[in-house]
Amino acid sequence: MTDRDNGPGMIDKYKEAFQEEARELLSELESALLELDRKHDDVEVLSRAFRALHTIKGSGAMFGFDDIAAFVHNLENAFDLLRTGKLAVTAPLINLTLAASDQIKTMLDAAAGSGVVDPLRSQEILTELHQLTGMGEARNVLGSLSPHPSRKASSANTVHAQAHDWRIHFRPGPDTLLNGTNPILLLRELQDLGTLKIRVDCSAIPPLGEIDAEKCYLAWDLLLTGETNAESIRDVFVFVEGDCELFIEQVPEVEAEIQARGVSRARAEGANRPGALVAAGASSIRVSADRLDQLVNLVGELVTVQARLGEIAGRREDADILQISESIDRLTAALRENSMSIRMLPLRGTFDRFRRLVHDLGRELHKKVELTTEGADTELDKTVIDQLNEPLVHLIRNSMDHAIESPEARRAAGKSEVGTIHLSARHSGAHVLIRVSDDGRGLDAEKVRARAVERGLVPSGARLSEAEIFSLILEPGFSTAREVTEVSGRGVGMDVVRRSVDVLRGTLDIASQPGAGLTVTLRLPLTLAIIDVLLVRVGDAHFVLPLVNSLECVELTPKDALEANGKHVAIVRGELIPYIRLSEYFQMNTPRPEREQIMVVETELGRYGFVVDRVLGDHQTVIKNLGRLYRNVQVVSGATILGNGTVALILDPHRVVQSVLQNGVSHRRAGNPYPQQQQQTQELIPKGA
Amino acid sequence: MSQVILTVDDSASMRQVVTFTLSAAGYTVIEAVDGKDALAKLSRMTTRVNLVITDLNMPNLDGIGLIRNVRTLPAFKGVPILMLTTESQESRKLEGKAAGATGWIVKPFAPEKLVGVVKKVLG
Repeated sequence: MTDRDNGPGMIDKYKEAFQEEARELLSELESALLELDRKHDDVEVLSRAFRALHTIKGSGAMFGFDDIAAFVHNLENAFDLLRTGKLAVTAPLINLTLAASDQIKTMLDAAAGSGVVDPLRSQEILTELHQLTGMGEARNVLGSLSPHPSRKASSANTVHAQAHDWRIHFRPGPDTLLNGTNPILLLRELQDLGTLKIRVDCSAIPPLGEIDAEKCYLAWDLLLTGETNAESIRDVFVFVEGDCELFIEQVPEVEAEIQARGVSRARAEGANRPGALVAAGASSIRVSADRLDQLVNLVGELVTVQARLGEIAGRREDADILQISESIDRLTAALRENSMSIRMLPLRGTFDRFRRLVHDLGRELHKKVELTTEGADTELDKTVIDQLNEPLVHLIRNSMDHAIESPEARRAAGKSEVGTIHLSARHSGAHVLIRVSDDGRGLDAEKVRARAVERGLVPSGARLSEAEIFSLILEPGFSTAREVTEVSGRGVGMDVVRRSVDVLRGTLDIASQPGAGLTVTLRLPLTLAIIDVLLVRVGDAHFVLPLVNSLECVELTPKDALEANGKHVAIVRGELIPYIRLSEYFQMNTPRPEREQIMVVETELGRYGFVVDRVLGDHQTVIKNLGRLYRNVQVVSGATILGNGTVALILDPHRVVQSVLQNGVSHRRAGNPYPQQQQQTQELIPKGA
Repeated sequence: MSQVILTVDDSASMRQVVTFTLSAAGYTVIEAVDGKDALAKLSRMTTRVNLVITDLNMPNLDGIGLIRNVRTLPAFKGVPILMLTTESQESRKLEGKAAGATGWIVKPFAPEKLVGVVKKVLG
């Protein structure tokens, strides 16, 4: 049914009902008046009379009896004064009201089609009423009492409305929810007026112990863009206006433009402050890298101290200290993020430098090579970028020199004369993947293997997978190029690349198709200093895993833990997930707790579960290097110092999974507490022999 | 399931208008003739009442009294309550707000205005 069906036609049907009701109310009024005549100060009876008049007025206006409503309005006002004791009941007043009652009946009759109303008589009664009560000039006109007044007003306003930005601050009163107002509905109503950007302000939420679940502690800062006006916005809050904090202001055009361009408000305000360092737009300042390093070091120290504070505050059960600790925690996180982001630089500069390199090398080697890049906007920590230059130069030189054939050879192989080197970068969790691929001759696994045997790197009968063979070229002193050239192959091979990548705590993968090219993938951590981690406990030992890769932590019940072909598989949310029990992996011989927890981690090799005794929570961690002695431990990417001073190893989930896959069912192997410490490449070969 | 609205008014014609308008808009409407009747009906209700619309001037228990009583009932904490007022009742409106009313509708109103306000508080 549409609103139209509820329109005047519907109202007409109720006019009859009103007539009937009004007559009943008039006889109620008369009997009350007669009672009042006997007992002038009976408040209960006065109230009855007032109610009768009030209802006649209200319903009369409702059903279009505007003349009656206007007339009764004056009587109602008089009786309001009488029942509140502001005016005394007198016999003339009672008689006048009785006469008025008769007049109303005449008006009802006239409306029903019998007889006519004498307007002079109405005016006479009202004039006399005015004299008796001393009220202001009695009006027989009920100007504002006709329906739809607000609609007229609002439509008049919207005609001139233009799209503007409005800033609205809304903090509902604490009892808003108890009084039946749902603030979300108000926000939705605002959304009908235009595009709404909502920011919730949770700052007033008290500590958990003091929260009254029925009170409202939230506030909202809103930015409304639409063709509306202040009245329409205020209208949304009409029922709560007195009980809430509400500021509505139109955003000046200039600022609106800045906001539209995506520049944050804070920044715009910063620009207005004299001497502000960060101005709106593209302006920037140069800071020496040393000072940035210092900043990050200081933030790193702060993170460590904060972890200790958090630990102590947690033990103390002192709400005040805990609150301060939590605030500092938030600030530290923001500070860390901020100082890290200052150090982030896009790879574009590095990529651009290689264009020149490829061009110059091409001329020198008489090869036609084109460099294509992808993801040059990917950002990396400045330190990582600086240290990345050398290995990348090396990889590109290698491709130019060894991989990409001469134009003649390429033509003979049915390829385009122009070779391509493709540089790409993209994010993957806490890492950046940088690929250098070419469409050259690729690696011939057999040649590599023969060369390795010749160099004594592998015994001649070793059974190696293709990936293992390719990784041989990373060994010191390995070079497949038969002749030494100007460009590369002077005895320093890919091992240089591997060392540089190791320093960055990255990893390196080689994939190749003979004849179709070579792809080297560098996997580098986004930053070198501080990361978000999950702290877990296995037996007495603590480990941390990078938070970015973690999908979820759930309890591992015995019925969800399965064995399949000697491998552990768990059912998590109906999905089969292979898992690694860290206590087994590290052969820790700790008693298995009754309830274990499984962390599901997204690695580049798929989803894997890491089963631990307990997940203790998330932390910010300063990465400390393990030092030279542990340089070859692949599965541990560093260590961190916890709040209580103990050391936790930072695991690299990707490498842990890789080591398990490479070593087969490794979690049962006895011996070394850190299986992967047996240096992937060196250990690989004797094992397969 | 349609939302349930309790309309409280001593004027039968007003009750009819509210009931007809809101039924047509898809709500289930229950009527009460005054505050006392409304409280009795609320206490017997087995389903949730989503909204109460009450007149202010009524015999036995008036609108303000009803609002105060409803707000003390744990089962009706936070239920929206709309007052039917007239323009001459500005002070009563504030009194009602203080007693815990959610909002108001000024009489006389066009049916679509009533539906609009109900939608405003019920979403």
